[in-house]
Amino acid sequence: MSNNSIDREVILSIKHVDISFDQGHKKKFVAVKDANFDIYKGETFALVGESGSGKTTLGRAILRINPLSAGEIEFEGKRISGKISREEDRNVVRNIQMIFQDPAASLNERATIEYCVSEGLYNFHLYKDEEDRIAKVDKALQDVGLLPEHKSRYPHEFSGGQRQRVGIARAMIMDPKFIVADEPISALDVSIRAQVLNLMNKLKAEKNLTYLFIAHDLSVVRFIADRIAVIHLGEIVEIAESETLFKYPLHPYTISLLSAVPMPDPVVERDRHAIVYDPSKLDQSGEKRTMKEIRPGHFVYATTKEFAGYEEKIAQMEKELKEN
Amino acid sequence: MENENKNLNDLFTFAEFDEMESEHIAAPRYSYWKSVFRTFFRNKFTVAVAILLLFILCFALIQPMRSGYSPIVTPNINSPELKFLKPCKEHIFGTDHVGNEVFDAVWAGARNSIIISFVCTGINMIIGILVGAVWGFSKKMDKWMIEVYNIVANIPFLLLAMILCYVLGAGMKSLIITMTCTEWVIVAYFIRTQVMIIRDREYNMASKCLGTRTMTMITKNILPYLISVIMTYVARMIPNLISYEVFLSYMGLGLGTTNASLGQSISLYTSYMRGYPHLFWIPVGVLAIISISLYIVGQRLADAADPRTHM
Amino acid sequence: MEEKRNIILSAKDIEVKFRVRDNYLTAIRGVSLDLYEGETFAIVGESGSGKSVFTKTFTGMLESNGTISNGSVMFHGKDLTKLKTDKDWEGIRGAKISTIFQDPMTSLNPIRTIGSQITEVIEKHQGVSKGEAKKQAIEIMERVGIPNAANRFDEYPFQYSGGMRQRIVIAIALSCHPEILICDEPTTALDVTIQAQIIKLIRDLQKELGFTTVYITHDLGVVANVADRVGVMYGGQIIEYGTVEEIFFEPCHPYTWALLSSLPQLGVKGQDLAYITGTPPSLYNKIKGDAFAPRNEHALKIDFVEEPPFFQVSDTHFAKTWLLDPRAPKLEKPEAIQNLHEKIKKMTDKGGSFHVE
Repeated sequence: MSNNSIDREVILSIKHVDISFDQGHKKKFVAVKDANFDIYKGETFALVGESGSGKTTLGRAILRINPLSAGEIEFEGKRISGKISREEDRNVVRNIQMIFQDPAASLNERATIEYCVSEGLYNFHLYKDEEDRIAKVDKALQDVGLLPEHKSRYPHEFSGGQRQRVGIARAMIMDPKFIVADEPISALDVSIRAQVLNLMNKLKAEKNLTYLFIAHDLSVVRFIADRIAVIHLGEIVEIAESETLFKYPLHPYTISLLSAVPMPDPVVERDRHAIVYDPSKLDQSGEKRTMKEIRPGHFVYATTKEFAGYEEKIAQMEKELKEN
Repeated sequence: MENENKNLNDLFTFAEFDEMESEHIAAPRYSYWKSVFRTFFRNKFTVAVAILLLFILCFALIQPMRSGYSPIVTPNINSPELKFLKPCKEHIFGTDHVGNEVFDAVWAGARNSIIISFVCTGINMIIGILVGAVWGFSKKMDKWMIEVYNIVANIPFLLLAMILCYVLGAGMKSLIITMTCTEWVIVAYFIRTQVMIIRDREYNMASKCLGTRTMTMITKNILPYLISVIMTYVARMIPNLISYEVFLSYMGLGLGTTNASLGQSISLYTSYMRGYPHLFWIPVGVLAIISISLYIVGQRLADAADPRTHM
Repeated sequence: MEEKRNIILSAKDIEVKFRVRDNYLTAIRGVSLDLYEGETFAIVGESGSGKSVFTKTFTGMLESNGTISNGSVMFHGKDLTKLKTDKDWEGIRGAKISTIFQDPMTSLNPIRTIGSQITEVIEKHQGVSKGEAKKQAIEIMERVGIPNAANRFDEYPFQYSGGMRQRIVIAIALSCHPEILICDEPTTALDVTIQAQIIKLIRDLQKELGFTTVYITHDLGVVANVADRVGVMYGGQIIEYGTVEEIFFEPCHPYTWALLSSLPQLGVKGQDLAYITGTPPSLYNKIKGDAFAPRNEHALKIDFVEEPPFFQVSDTHFAKTWLLDPRAPKLEKPEAIQNLHEKIKKMTDKGGSFHVE
């Protein structure tokens, strides 16, 4: 299962990326440290972390909004970070789109839905004539479960879930290959989150998309992601296939995130306790941590000593599961 | 009875369910400008002031054409019985020290004041908004424009007015130059700040991700959001410029003695304030009514242009 | 279940209207609720369901365009709906009934130190000296889990993280020993791990201090952990209430079904999650029948004609749906939430997705 990842085609590659922000007085805030991973074509890759972990910063760097201070990002084998030609920049826009967290903030309130959805079409002149453009907008709206009659409405007339679907339609109309979805459901009411998640899955299958799904919560990610990277304070601490990560969580931060997911069962909840992540319990020897592959496709950020501990732990878990 | 029972039983069967049905939006269609005017016309007081203002503006534009008033034409200067008349039936606002109708003088003055303030506001806003919008986006431009602004903002207005008046001579043209040559920078700075506030909002980032160019962003994403603040600015600027004009003319730096102007009238009539107070108070009163109603209408329009008031 | 407990607060037939421009919006349409001493009652609903508005009637904090047009809230023999001025509310709001809001910054003054904000409340409500108040303030800061409380006493709110700020708000709310604590989405703005900690903190403090909690949330997932009883709100009404076990294991209202089965925790990869279509009803118009009917795939014809009454399911469990009428067709709850306990147990046991050591 984990071996098939080797012969899969890499679509986006994050290579030792650092992102930092100036804070004046020569102080620098490092938001992302040495992020290094590949995303395969056709998968949903989740980046999970809490506020301030740098997950959004990294997502935006792919769209060239945040500049890198070190490393490179490659898309389909071509570098898209740093200085690139205007043509290449337009190419990135065509192929990589974003779904934003807050549908209320990310739509132009003074423009009709028709304009919002057409915006990308206008910019790249992706239509033959007016009729063709309208037809494309109608199709995009129908694809996300909205009605063509919504075209003349303004964003504030819609509910949160509908607005988020407008945001998805506007990204999809560009026919992108890669989508960065930055917490697309966290600003929505629980009851409509499911609809947006289903829709994203449906569109992915129909259009052969690749997602980078940014989330702060493991419960959502388990349902939607193929592979998961857990990020904490700018450092990616664990990467694994979704099933593996839930079965064999190794890094204490991953375990803490996992234990914090509330379960909808009062009886089970009574015996569950959130585990607080305590970095002081990690190896304090000062050895630099690196990403180490503990099982094929399962990476953990560790020192040599920690790695040995994780190795022991995973072997133990495997043994126990086999016995059951 | 049996029929009723059947009906009742029918009620306890499943209804048809159409998923798309719940996607329809029942509320009537929203239109920005329609809502602006609906909100504006909802308040009776505002409408009354707007009608008054419209009436004054039309009157100020038409009446002087009929009267042909000019301060240097004084046909009655040798008829003392026609001077300093109190307001009465034949002379609505009375007559002044040269026997001219105060009514004619006031409206001719009002016309010039209004024209100048509207023209100057127009020029200031157009240049200011264009420059300010680009300024708000361009970091390069910001570096030197901010220096220009610092200098301009620190030039005393009166000093500038005096110099320009001496260099260009009094008159309509030089007054317009005086009131626009630096003011647009102030407008541009204001717009720049506003643009910077909304420039980094998420929906603009979304537009950028869709490949929208800066110029399109300015016209489609930024300026529509600024309609309300721009209107507020205009609502303040027009009366402000009227009082500038009055002030400059009063100081002798404005339109000069050959043109009618409210400032001119007020300055001239001040000397007769003791004996004939109506000469002074009538132009001041007209000035106040014009300024205040312009301000109220502008402000209410600006409020109505804010979509938060549309419900 | 347990011995009969005392009712501490009793709301009857509450109706709240808001005047918006020339329209009236009926935000709460006849809600009754008895709160028992020492329990945690969770109110669950999506935005616009009226869950916050309802509890604001307990503290007289409705926005100025809102009025309680009907009903009563009895607390210690007093009808709280009759109180008007801030003076009437003195000794109740913030003293006997405290509220914690979603955004801690709404309750904290950004330009005053944390310490002074806590001591002020203690001095005001307990009439103790400055020194004593400071001592108590540091004690309570430690109690809510602020490390180095004495050192952080003189810091400003911006120097605290979101989770720490919420702890301070809890400290302030508890510093005058309230009898009822209303938690209005206290963890929605916080990270998941912090959320778990804050929920635990509130639970522990409740055990220790014995106050009654009203917990408002839109996330049913959180409720299982905090609540003794649960009320589900939709369109300005409570449509189902019961003990937490009843709501999770024996839900009866299709809306509760939908809320539960749409939880991503229950999702199966590769299959669609259950979801609710459309939007909540507009409360500007009079609602005919069951407010949820237009979005309900299990709606009966009668749901569009007549509002269902509350049907009693057990001593503690009531639901407002025609499906419970004897004349209605029998309908099983959706597959996703059948045998919920066994499913979750499997997930959290060894080898399950959410198992942690």
